[in-house]
Amino acid sequence: MAPKKQHQELLKKYAEAVVKVGLNLRAGQRLIITNAIARGVPPAARRFVHEVTKAAYAAGARYVETIWGDEEMLRIRIRLQNAPSDSFGEYPKFHISAIMDMIQNGDALLSISANDPDALKGLDTERIGAMQKTHLENYKEVGAQVSRNAINWCVVAAASPAWAAKMFPDLKPGEAEEKLWQAIFETTRADQPDPVASWKEHIQNLKKRSGYLQAKKYSALHYRGPGTDFTLGLPNGHKWISAQALAENGVIFTANMPTEETFTLPDRHRAEGTVAATFPLSYGGSLIEDFNVTFENGRIIKVNAKKNEAILQQLVDTDEGSTRLGEVALVPASSPIAKRGHLFYNTLFDENASCHIAIGRAYRFTLTGGEELTDEEFIAAGGNVSLNHVDFMIGSPEMDIDGVTDDGTREPVMRSGEWAFDA
Amino acid sequence: MTESEFYQLLSKYADVVVRVGLNLRKGQRLLLRGILDDAPLMRKVTERAYKAGAVYVEPIYTDEQIARIRFEHADPESITEVPDWIVTRYEEYYKRMDAELAISSYDPELLAGIDPDLIAMNRKALMQKMEPLRKYENTTNWCVVATATPAWAKKVFPNLPVKEAQEKLWEEIFASCRIYEADPVAAWNEHCAKLQRYRDYLNAQKFTALHYTGPGTDLTIGLPEKQQWQGAQTEFKNGITAVPNLPTEEVFTTPHAEKVNGTVKSTMPLNYGGVLIEDFSLAFENGRAVNVSAKKGEETLKKLIETDENASRLGEVALVPNSSPISQRKILFYNTLFDENASCHIAIGNSYRDTIVGGEDMTEEEFAACGGNKSLVHTDFMIGSDQLDIDGINPDGSHTPVFRAGEWAVNV
Repeated sequence: MAPKKQHQELLKKYAEAVVKVGLNLRAGQRLIITNAIARGVPPAARRFVHEVTKAAYAAGARYVETIWGDEEMLRIRIRLQNAPSDSFGEYPKFHISAIMDMIQNGDALLSISANDPDALKGLDTERIGAMQKTHLENYKEVGAQVSRNAINWCVVAAASPAWAAKMFPDLKPGEAEEKLWQAIFETTRADQPDPVASWKEHIQNLKKRSGYLQAKKYSALHYRGPGTDFTLGLPNGHKWISAQALAENGVIFTANMPTEETFTLPDRHRAEGTVAATFPLSYGGSLIEDFNVTFENGRIIKVNAKKNEAILQQLVDTDEGSTRLGEVALVPASSPIAKRGHLFYNTLFDENASCHIAIGRAYRFTLTGGEELTDEEFIAAGGNVSLNHVDFMIGSPEMDIDGVTDDGTREPVMRSGEWAFDA
Repeated sequence: MTESEFYQLLSKYADVVVRVGLNLRKGQRLLLRGILDDAPLMRKVTERAYKAGAVYVEPIYTDEQIARIRFEHADPESITEVPDWIVTRYEEYYKRMDAELAISSYDPELLAGIDPDLIAMNRKALMQKMEPLRKYENTTNWCVVATATPAWAKKVFPNLPVKEAQEKLWEEIFASCRIYEADPVAAWNEHCAKLQRYRDYLNAQKFTALHYTGPGTDLTIGLPEKQQWQGAQTEFKNGITAVPNLPTEEVFTTPHAEKVNGTVKSTMPLNYGGVLIEDFSLAFENGRAVNVSAKKGEETLKKLIETDENASRLGEVALVPNSSPISQRKILFYNTLFDENASCHIAIGNSYRDTIVGGEDMTEEEFAACGGNKSLVHTDFMIGSDQLDIDGINPDGSHTPVFRAGEWAVNV
């Protein structure tokens, strides 16, 4: 167990990196800190929030506010709500109006994940589904703004006892939490002597990969691996993105810490074949395990899961856009997060350990000029519109990926889970 | 107290909060406000509320440490920044006549050592922003209660290790809220009936003023002709009758804002926004505090009464016998919810509309003409002791003993 003082020091460095690299917070901006899934930041992240708040004020923030979310309250509601079932339509509206107020003012948004991957385990799936649907409907306007990078935003994580226990079930509670913190510090480079400098170098390396893929303008990717034979079209004008983005408020930011991925949008009309998940998926407090998804003309026509298939089906049934894909991301199987050899049960980490695709909404900034299009125009161009955006992992050391050019030529993009080109 | 004993008591406490404090109705939504350390009670209340048919319970947690971090680290120029949605989140609830529970368990010394000017600027900006919510006063059933949080417990019992201090403070809260009674709800019904008899007596007497005498105190508080004494229960505009403070031992009304004269000495420290004000006196002339002095926190006290034009006038006068169960515990709680129920007190600042007959339907001018006070602040401070005598002054000028040596001098 790391001494208290050392932990505190790392927490401080981590918070500074989040404010400087992740958000790139500008003097005079306000900052709202929250977490959509738990309707606020889980209190376990309290000490980290303190450090982020200090770092934000040091960077000249005009106002910093954290909305707290208690996952136990969600459980109590699902178990005990003794009211008509349509009252699951109730939602903390101020959570949305607070975030929208910040977005409209060009302020910054930080999401801190510390969620229990099994938060809603064993509870009534219909009630879970009703609550999740209400959440998605209410969160829609925030999702739309975030997906066009209206402001500088960032998603990071903090360790919590419940999450740590899920990851390291054989360790004692305190040790598990410490080990999870260590993993967070290492993967976010907070343990480096100069985290900010180390991030600059990392961002440059990722940009070389996205630059190469951008120049290729593949019309499709073809995936082969155990249980997977899958072709995914890429629309004209697709933009490969990594690490950094320019927000509409003029700030260049890094939306995820950690980040190891290079990603773009698939063509919502062109996905064929079956793809097997290689990691469990934590969705809205439930863990979906051992699953595969079959596509025809871009549409999901079948899902199979050994665990929580009903939750997966609810996800796909949310709306028309949830039957299609909105993101395709490439991550080598040797990524620093993959090499740790353990699951995080948290998309922020697991998606950076594995190639993945996302069910639902495509990010507007992954299509050239996408921010300016109406929903109809975006859809016509191959972009997907949905209440959901849920990544799931399909990469492994046995995965091969080819890039298919306009004339049908195939070029190796990944072999045995690793990059097959030099950049 | 074992953990299971504690949770049994906490369940009973949550039951009293939902049934007596809020009198929550089936179909209501409930807004819950507290600090992160209040989570155990927040969760129990949420369970009870859903079982009672609440359609939705919305918890709003704050972390008081973040307030201190702001004062220590933010640009002082930005300290008056208050976002609009802080207000709109409450308004949504008040407009729908939902219930609200506030948990008051703050660290009394949270802001010790912070520049009083900055604190005053920050508080004033917040109060100005919240001002439009005043029109919803008593619209919906609301209640204030407390939980024993570590920082507060440590202040109340500084000589005990924090765990023991916390346990002891919980015992005090449970005892004050009648949770150890075999049937706490029945005990509350009986207690409310008693407070209402004192309230009815004072309403019938229609004193023109109260005259306070005690060590360092010689104060005459004029009362409005349309004074309305209140106690224990409030009838809210949404038709629900409930008990907005747990515990409560007081009966209270509003002074006439222009008819307070003489000097009053505090008998307990005042915790104002995280700063302690100790050993203080105020001298009044025609309702206005013209001189204040304090051994500690004088600067903060002066800032308080300078908040706005009428922050130097009184807005509440409350009677609590020295033998009140909370007073008898001989503990200084550094928390108004408890200390005000251990002692006669008065409040600087705003008057409650329901302390003047018909006051809720009056314009601001009409309310002021009746003697009501309007201010951004409403801060209680304690003036009771076992040496305090209070006379009621009748319309014909004769005196009726109301309190003698800190105890009720009337039988009801």
